[in-house]
Amino acid sequence: MSWSSRLAALLPATVARDAGGTEPDPRFTFANERTFLAWSRTALALVVAGLGIVQLLPPFPGVPVGRHLLGVPLIALGAVLAVVAYAEWVRNQRALRRGEPLPQSFMPWILAAAIAGMALISAVVLLVSALR
Amino acid sequence: MSAQDGQDGQERELAGDDPEERDPGLGRERTSLAWTRTAISFAALGGTVLKVNVITGLVILAIAPVVWQLGRVTRGSTPEAGLPAPALPTVGATRLFIIAVSIAVVALLCLIVALLGSSAPGALR
Repeated sequence: MSWSSRLAALLPATVARDAGGTEPDPRFTFANERTFLAWSRTALALVVAGLGIVQLLPPFPGVPVGRHLLGVPLIALGAVLAVVAYAEWVRNQRALRRGEPLPQSFMPWILAAAIAGMALISAVVLLVSALR
Repeated sequence: MSAQDGQDGQERELAGDDPEERDPGLGRERTSLAWTRTAISFAALGGTVLKVNVITGLVILAIAPVVWQLGRVTRGSTPEAGLPAPALPTVGATRLFIIAVSIAVVALLCLIVALLGSSAPGALR
């Protein structure tokens, strides 16, 4: 499946057409929607954190690009999380409608890896800044 | 329990006000609150960006009431006395698609502001 067809499958019209199955228990539908909204808020928090680091923190002495190194990936991660959260909502809703087991979520893995990576970059930036 | 309470209880039952029947697991209520929190998150981000770039901040702030309004679809209407509880809404993908696209666009705007905007270093000192 190519990337363009994968993206086209996420458009609301396609989602509604390909839903199949029957309307699931409303509790599950609402829970799926709340999960998406919780990930959306996480994405917004990452964006605001990234912007705060770049624009509001004092520069790291000796590391002129330090703030951008920390802030820009956070903002980009926010955009990625929002899109992936929607894709996961579509997959989950489809599985719920068809009575299939819920697919495995990659989002906790993405977030954990990103946070670990950011922590590592932060440590390096701070160390370099302290040593200069 | 007073006679007044008894009468109220009877009216509530007529209105289909059994919480489990009207709103199973309080899912509608909790989802409605989740939408409100998301709208507040947009407003908080808009407020922060306002400090850096006024126009971008106002654009993001303007998204907050739209998100709140989108969440109102989930809330549904209060059932009228004697009528059966309204059916729970079918959640359309469009609203969530709008949220995802909004966040991606907002992130792009913030990226531009972060890269090109003049910083206010020490504002968080």
